[in-house]
Amino acid sequence: MNSIPASADCLDVADLLVDYTEGTLSPEQTSRVTAHMAHCLRCQQHVAHTCELADIMAAIRIVPPPAALDAALLAALAQETDQLKQPAGAGSEAIVVPLNPTSVHPTSSGWWLRIAASLLLLAAGMVLGNHWRPLSSATVALSTPDAQAAPRFQALVGNLTAPTLSASQRLLLVSELAAEAQTSGDPVVQALINTLNFDPNPNVRLAAGKGLYRLRADPRVAEAFVQSLTIQTDPYVQILLIELLVEMREQRAKPELERLSRRPDALPVVRQEAKAGLGQLI
Amino acid sequence: MAAVHANDLAQVVLLFERYKSPLFNFLYRLSNDYETSQDLTQTVFERLLKYRASYQLGQPFKAWIYHLARNVYTHYWHLGQKMRTTDVLEEERQGGLGSAAFTQMATLECEQALQEAMALLAPPEREILVLHRFQGFSYEEIAAMLGCTAGAAKVKAHRALKALRTIYFSEQP
Ligand SMILES: [Zn+2]
Repeated sequence: MNSIPASADCLDVADLLVDYTEGTLSPEQTSRVTAHMAHCLRCQQHVAHTCELADIMAAIRIVPPPAALDAALLAALAQETDQLKQPAGAGSEAIVVPLNPTSVHPTSSGWWLRIAASLLLLAAGMVLGNHWRPLSSATVALSTPDAQAAPRFQALVGNLTAPTLSASQRLLLVSELAAEAQTSGDPVVQALINTLNFDPNPNVRLAAGKGLYRLRADPRVAEAFVQSLTIQTDPYVQILLIELLVEMREQRAKPELERLSRRPDALPVVRQEAKAGLGQLI
Repeated sequence: MAAVHANDLAQVVLLFERYKSPLFNFLYRLSNDYETSQDLTQTVFERLLKYRASYQLGQPFKAWIYHLARNVYTHYWHLGQKMRTTDVLEEERQGGLGSAAFTQMATLECEQALQEAMALLAPPEREILVLHRFQGFSYEEIAAMLGCTAGAAKVKAHRALKALRTIYFSEQP
């Protein structure tokens, strides 16, 4: 089927054919190729083949990495963290908590890696130079009376002013509370919003944000995310909130995304995320 | 000091997560093997942990991580070459090309056929096509990786496409 002989002219234009299909030749070169192709079946076929191949390549699937990869990466990370551990006196514990990968929100399958990364920061007692100041305890207090009755909420609220639980305990508690809450309008929502805004530990705030996303049918959640984005300064929390707001197609997030994308004190990765998120919301 | 290292570690881990899927696909299209790609992606991550001190925040992470990935793949490929005989390679070459059945196929079969044809390219040809066509790297970016000019990268990419076309459509050279 391909027995059409090549002529000297074919060799002359051979190196131009790919550019020809991409329309990047000069007008003079284009007319040279067109003139040759008018009487050369062989080069016509090569051009057709090149176009077809380019189309097939452009349509190639993106293959999702296997879930087992995340587990393997986490194991490698845990090993590295062990080697990082400070000898003594630092008073900080390296906790790498693999959250159940099947329960994470759909937009970023690997978000546990962010938690792990964030916990690494903690392990060294350093949160990107971020000095978190809880707001006044009056703002922090739970407003819903039914929530105040539950001792587990008290544990969460109590730690805000005088932490009685360690960060990892609060992290577990937040995860459990979020998993238990099933309906919108649940008082847990307010407790998690308070935690998202006022817990001194960014990982606990991340867990609260993730838990709230599951309860997003409650209208308080979207509003809380928008407001929280204006006060969060930890990059991991910022990135999570941006992703969740974009996923929820929350138009009210636009002004803050606009602001974040220009903020000189935000990390470049956060600014990029805000800019990309803005593009998706418009 | 440990604080600085932990900070670096957290940053590079965060960045890696963003490139995890593109890297996996890069290695998948080079190796044409799902499980191998998983192992190789993991190896890239392990090297990233090991050599993170050589990465400075603010430098283009993408270029650095692809540099690691290319090295990991090259190493894997050379290991594979040692275990293969040229006879096997020659057999594959003949068998894969015997018929003109590469044409007239459904979309998924096209992709399968494409993978088979790409497997027959020389590794540098395969790599430049994966980088440019599948991964969206510009000729300038590829030039920086290969240590050549953008013009040379373009010529190489065109030659690779031409070689692929010849194989895929069983064209006479
Ligand atoms: Zn011709």
